[in-house]
Amino acid sequence: MHVVERAQSSTEADHRRIALGLFLAYGLFWSVLAVAPVSRHDWLLENLLTVGLVTTLVFTYHRFPFSLTSYTLIAVFMVLHAIGAHYTYSEVPFGFWLKDVLTLSRNPFDRIVHFAYGLLLAYPLRELLVRLAGLRGGWSYFLPVSGVLAQSGFFEVVEAVVAMIVSPELGSMYLGTQGDEWDAQKDMAAAFAGAVLAMVCTAWLERNRTLAPA
Amino acid sequence: MSRNKVVSIGLLLWYVAVSVWMAQAPVDPQFWLIASILPAAFVVLLIATHRFLPLSHTSHALITAFLTLHTIGVHYTYAEVPIGLWLDQVLHLGRNHFDRVVHFSFGFLLAYPMEELFRLSASIRGWVVYYLPVMTVLGLSGLWEIIESWVARAVHPELGVTYLGSQGDVWDAQKDMAAALYGALLSMTLLLVVRALRGAETALESEAAFSE
Repeated sequence: MHVVERAQSSTEADHRRIALGLFLAYGLFWSVLAVAPVSRHDWLLENLLTVGLVTTLVFTYHRFPFSLTSYTLIAVFMVLHAIGAHYTYSEVPFGFWLKDVLTLSRNPFDRIVHFAYGLLLAYPLRELLVRLAGLRGGWSYFLPVSGVLAQSGFFEVVEAVVAMIVSPELGSMYLGTQGDEWDAQKDMAAAFAGAVLAMVCTAWLERNRTLAPA
Repeated sequence: MSRNKVVSIGLLLWYVAVSVWMAQAPVDPQFWLIASILPAAFVVLLIATHRFLPLSHTSHALITAFLTLHTIGVHYTYAEVPIGLWLDQVLHLGRNHFDRVVHFSFGFLLAYPMEELFRLSASIRGWVVYYLPVMTVLGLSGLWEIIESWVARAVHPELGVTYLGSQGDVWDAQKDMAAALYGALLSMTLLLVVRALRGAETALESEAAFSE
């Protein structure tokens, strides 16, 4: 009995230590990239949601601690977004390098991050829905995909509203589209593909876990 | 034959009748064919699953209303629906808004059947019951816009965004998704209000019964 209790409290302490470590590592990385971004205005806009999300995660830690897998996935995504925000996405050096190597017509970094959004955040979303709403079975794989797609669509709507308010004369040339009229649909498709891939992997892992002898 | 069956079969007959009528000389036969595949598959799916998934009459009626609107829209390629043209003239809107109305109806009419589906098959409770249909409507709208863009690029790559529904508006996809979102939000708000009122009523009734 006592051994079990101690083991539980030590895993809890480990969980807290690792989560704090992730937070600090991300904070350090974010601070470095907050120095002299390509465009301070764009950087502020991109970081509104970042600050909101990280604050929410910190304040809900005691009431709803995510698994370390989820925290790690979220942290990786936030690192990618911090890099994108520093370079206004369309000027990320790695994206330019990819563009040259693969002879693309545009910097693909934002598309990669849209894909990463689905790939990395579908799992935490599933965990949230399973633990909060008690989802099971097929729904627990379908709804995270639907959720990622919904949030991507919502993001595109917000982006359109911002663009129409800030610079109506630029139309779809503003913000991220880099002149592609199908940009919104391609971004959503990238997130969708990422989420489907993540859920297929999760389903496969869950199946192996439940089939494996205890 | 039970009353339940009569209502379901009546709704189905109505949908088939509208479909057959609207299949006569559509404005653009290719568009009609492409846009009719999904609804037809959806109706077949509903019929095939009605035994394990007993949706209510309300849901079936809402789904039928939505499919009726879509069937009318598809006959006229959406951009040429007479009532939309008439609205454009009367209110000086600058475009035929019938497709936007149907996007709104997608959220408004189908959020409730989704809520019922989740309640029946996923055994969820609480606020998530209202949140998930809104999320699913928005997700499916996004998927619809993605499919629309694929079809547009496959069928008429030279027309770009001017093909299919956008009527030349670069923000058309975003506005369509927003319309569906508003529809779903409105429908879930109404559902919450109705349930709150009904809950208050039953509470009053049980209180009255208790005091008697």
